[in-house]
Amino acid sequence: MKKIIFLVFVSVLFLTQSIQAQKYFTRTGNIVFSSEAPMEKIEASNQKATSVLDAKSGKMEFAVLIKAFQFEKALMQEHFNENYMESDKFPKALFKGAIVDMSKIDLSTDGTYAVKVKGDLTIHGETKEVETDGNIEVKDGKISATSTFEIEVADFKIEIPKVVRDNIAKIVSITINIDYELFKKKS
Amino acid sequence: MKKYLKYILLLTVVGGVGFYFYSNKPHKNMTKAAVEMQLSSIQLFADFENNEEEANGKYLDKIMEVSGKVKEISLDEEGRTSITLESGSEMFGVICQLDNLTKHARTNFKEGEEIKLKGICTGVLMDVILVRCVEIKA
Repeated sequence: MKKIIFLVFVSVLFLTQSIQAQKYFTRTGNIVFSSEAPMEKIEASNQKATSVLDAKSGKMEFAVLIKAFQFEKALMQEHFNENYMESDKFPKALFKGAIVDMSKIDLSTDGTYAVKVKGDLTIHGETKEVETDGNIEVKDGKISATSTFEIEVADFKIEIPKVVRDNIAKIVSITINIDYELFKKKS
Repeated sequence: MKKYLKYILLLTVVGGVGFYFYSNKPHKNMTKAAVEMQLSSIQLFADFENNEEEANGKYLDKIMEVSGKVKEISLDEEGRTSITLESGSEMFGVICQLDNLTKHARTNFKEGEEIKLKGICTGVLMDVILVRCVEIKA
């Protein structure tokens, strides 16, 4: 009986360890968004996005703080937070989804893999299903992910007043650049 | 009529210059910005962990002076330094991204060192995140 308990204990320990070993994460993900309107180009960046990638299932999650986006102009940053994103009410943007074709990827072999990512994107308190293309690069055992996609601001109930129609684009582009680390507890 | 034209022209110029300065107003100077609250990194993290919504209301956008022990220092690809302060949690911390508009007296912080940073609180993901941080000398 004791032996069985011991065995179960060991296998559970083993299992949890191997599950842990398959997770990758970052807390220094880079996200840039840019809006190109006839009158003005606006760009903001954030280097503090978090992301988790489960190497086995391909599930991935992103989270980013809206207020941590930094703009070239202070006034743009103010308007972005107060008028458009209402970041006091909705401080985060989230993505929960998965790499659809994870089975094609071998994370133990160096190379660049084109992937499709599908999931729910939540911005400004509104959730919408999105699908986009991205790249996973494996180099010397390090995994990085990049993607550029476009979103329509109206889909997230962000209203742009007519007066600034020529200054802010209706469709903004988002670029994601992430270097994953293997998830392990610090001892 | 000509008399009025002069004033209209003047008004337009003044308005134009005013608008230019308004739309190009600079970011806050973090070295000079007034501190709105002082607390420890452990307290800040605990408040976010206990009740995120309440902490958001209390801390978001506030210019705060946070004191704590350096847990980790990291440099990103663009050369920006971030300092993680101890939070009382083993896994998570209070991440302070140094301001890239300020010239910092030093960026060579050491693990275990007690420091004070002034920065703007942006909320919590896994860690509490402050941006635009500058060191406050003891």
